[in-house]
Amino acid sequence: MRGGKLPGRIAVTCIIACAVMITCLGGCSGNKSDVITLRVSNWEEYIDEGDWGEDELIELDDGTEIIGRNNLINDFEDWYLETYGVQVKVEYSTFGTNEDLYNQLTIGDVYDVVCPSEYMIMKLMREGMLVPYSSDFRNAYDENNYYENGVSPYIRSVFDDLSIEGEPLSKYAAGYMWGTLGFVYNPDEVTKEEASHWNILLNRDYYRRITIKDSVRDAFFAAAGVHFYDEITSDEFINSPDYHERLSQIINSTDVDTVNSIEDILANAKDNVYSFETDSGKADMVTGKVVANEQWSGDAVYTLDQAEEDGVELCYAVPQECTNLWFDGWVMLKSGIEQDTRKQHVAEAFVNYLSKPENVVRNMYYIGYTSVISGGDSDTVFDYLNWCYAAEDEEEAEDEETAADASEDDPQEEETHEEDAELVEYSEIGYFFEADTDEANKKYSVITTENQLDRQLFAQYPPMSVLDRAVVMACFDDESNERINRSWTNVRCFDLNSLFGSKRKYE
Amino acid sequence: MKRSWFDRKQLAFPYFIYLILFVVMPLLVVLYYGFTDEEGNISFTNFVLFFTNGRTMGTLVYSLVIAVFVTVICLILAYPVAYILAKGRYARRHSFLMVFVLPMWINFTLRITALKEILTLIEGNLAYYPFVNTVICMVYDFLPFMIMPLFNALTKLDKSMIEAGHDLGATFPQVMLKIVLPLSIPGIVSGITMVFLPAMTNYVVLDMVYNSTYIMGSLIGSYFNAYDWNNGSIISAILLMFIGLFTIITDKIMTKEEA
Repeated sequence: MRGGKLPGRIAVTCIIACAVMITCLGGCSGNKSDVITLRVSNWEEYIDEGDWGEDELIELDDGTEIIGRNNLINDFEDWYLETYGVQVKVEYSTFGTNEDLYNQLTIGDVYDVVCPSEYMIMKLMREGMLVPYSSDFRNAYDENNYYENGVSPYIRSVFDDLSIEGEPLSKYAAGYMWGTLGFVYNPDEVTKEEASHWNILLNRDYYRRITIKDSVRDAFFAAAGVHFYDEITSDEFINSPDYHERLSQIINSTDVDTVNSIEDILANAKDNVYSFETDSGKADMVTGKVVANEQWSGDAVYTLDQAEEDGVELCYAVPQECTNLWFDGWVMLKSGIEQDTRKQHVAEAFVNYLSKPENVVRNMYYIGYTSVISGGDSDTVFDYLNWCYAAEDEEEAEDEETAADASEDDPQEEETHEEDAELVEYSEIGYFFEADTDEANKKYSVITTENQLDRQLFAQYPPMSVLDRAVVMACFDDESNERINRSWTNVRCFDLNSLFGSKRKYE
Repeated sequence: MKRSWFDRKQLAFPYFIYLILFVVMPLLVVLYYGFTDEEGNISFTNFVLFFTNGRTMGTLVYSLVIAVFVTVICLILAYPVAYILAKGRYARRHSFLMVFVLPMWINFTLRITALKEILTLIEGNLAYYPFVNTVICMVYDFLPFMIMPLFNALTKLDKSMIEAGHDLGATFPQVMLKIVLPLSIPGIVSGITMVFLPAMTNYVVLDMVYNSTYIMGSLIGSYFNAYDWNNGSIISAILLMFIGLFTIITDKIMTKEEA
């Protein structure tokens, strides 16, 4: 009955043939009609996905109302059609770590626009995988160029100063979110002073009660802060004219001796900390299992918000020695864009749309991270900052809604109503919106409750004094990377020698 | 008897495709990466590095120790339970068995999250005893996989053998050691294979109980994260060889027992 097999085979062949035809038809029709497909890959939960409740409406002082009803991606498709008359379809996907993204790209996954962190941008630049932004994108006279018109002058200078093989980062990357690296801590258990030093990781008083990030780079940065403590905190060093460059150089050193010392520090830290955590830190802070937790500022804001909902007040501190200035940015990939200028225009428009002040606010509200956009001529971002942190509690605001609508009073007048809470003027963030001058600082000052200076406001918009000691962690060369990765494995692997008595010494 | 329009062999066809696509092909890829260097030339340096790098061996030892502890404890806990369930006079022994296997129906991360809270209550701070906690959680996780094969082996055991032993004057320990235990060896072996190998690589449990020391699974992951596909692959390949060796040895023992 061999022949009996035939119908089955024919059936299978038919099904496969049909499937192939359907996919082909789908692909063909896509090409014929005028739809441009933009393949975007971004971090998980790193864009406003809409669906806000009506009570989440953000009403700014100048009367602007912002709410995320739809997914920002769909809004972009509509906006592009409306503005440029071309139908765009965004294929949106997400990645978990920079390394995952890189692995996907090397396997052959194709994206047009991706949003890696600073060191991965530098790596992709070095490997020649990126397309530079066009001159149209830089044209400040085009009102749709929200990025060029809205990016913070501080971030712009950071992007201009970083260079890979002679080319500035700003040529290939447009920023998205940025921040610092520090500790979220419980003020009932840990003093601000203690949380302001990287060596809290080795502090025996907090044996098994502090977490460190389970990531080579973040762990190394912290350990470098411990290792170079004496060198980088001396008055002479801090007051030297090229302090910032030297700090960056020292923290980014990867010579054999440094890496070995850092390995020892991390090995000791491993014996002292609660865990190397990936995302359990936030929950453990709230339950009190952990009293301090190495975090990026963006996650810190989220943790603080969550803890607040559970009635726990946490704080955020940036170590005195140094901190890691990190950012994520949009880059266009050669493998995806393929010199298709129409597609590149869509990609650049996508970045611009995300940089539109209203959308920046939507993203910031949704994600909790700080955008690199300060808004330029538009005050929307600063108004949002005021909306978040200006001292006026919400119930009162609702009561006075009608009154507030009518008058465009300046924030200081409002403050006179406040009595019990201790209020302070936070006027150190002019650098972000305009320039690091007294005038700008005054213009962009926020009257807020005192505790905000250790909390969300501080985490989102650190003062210039913090950024003075903030350095971008370099994208190391292959040799250094190998050395660092090997020593990281050494830290994490069981040391057979410890069985034979030669245990690592503490401190 | 071939009445139907396909023969029985064709029933295996879907699995055959599955096998080629998801087992054989990835395995070949792993072997390819394992025995080549970054430029794609054939090389044995990765293989040699595995055995000469102290830390890799340390990880292997650490994983083995965890796996041995977990397996032995599982066996000690599971054997009496399986025996009582299989040989006791319970009207509804299958329902009783369900009680022991039931936890398997709940996702294991959920169960371990709950267990973590209990352990925190007992120990004060989970991070004080990472090794002990790892073993406890893995035992909790893998116990049903040990009970099931033991139960099956023991139910199949002919009761008249035990009765004969008693009739011939053997004491209870003698019956257990000389009759029940040897006859249940197939069950023990399959129980061990079900528990030992996952215990060596299941690093999710370690992550969850904050054990920051790598076991084989996490070491492989760390190599892949550092784009070192070659070294990551060789570890996977070598683990596979261990598994193969283990299966061959147990197979030999079992056939010897049967003979």
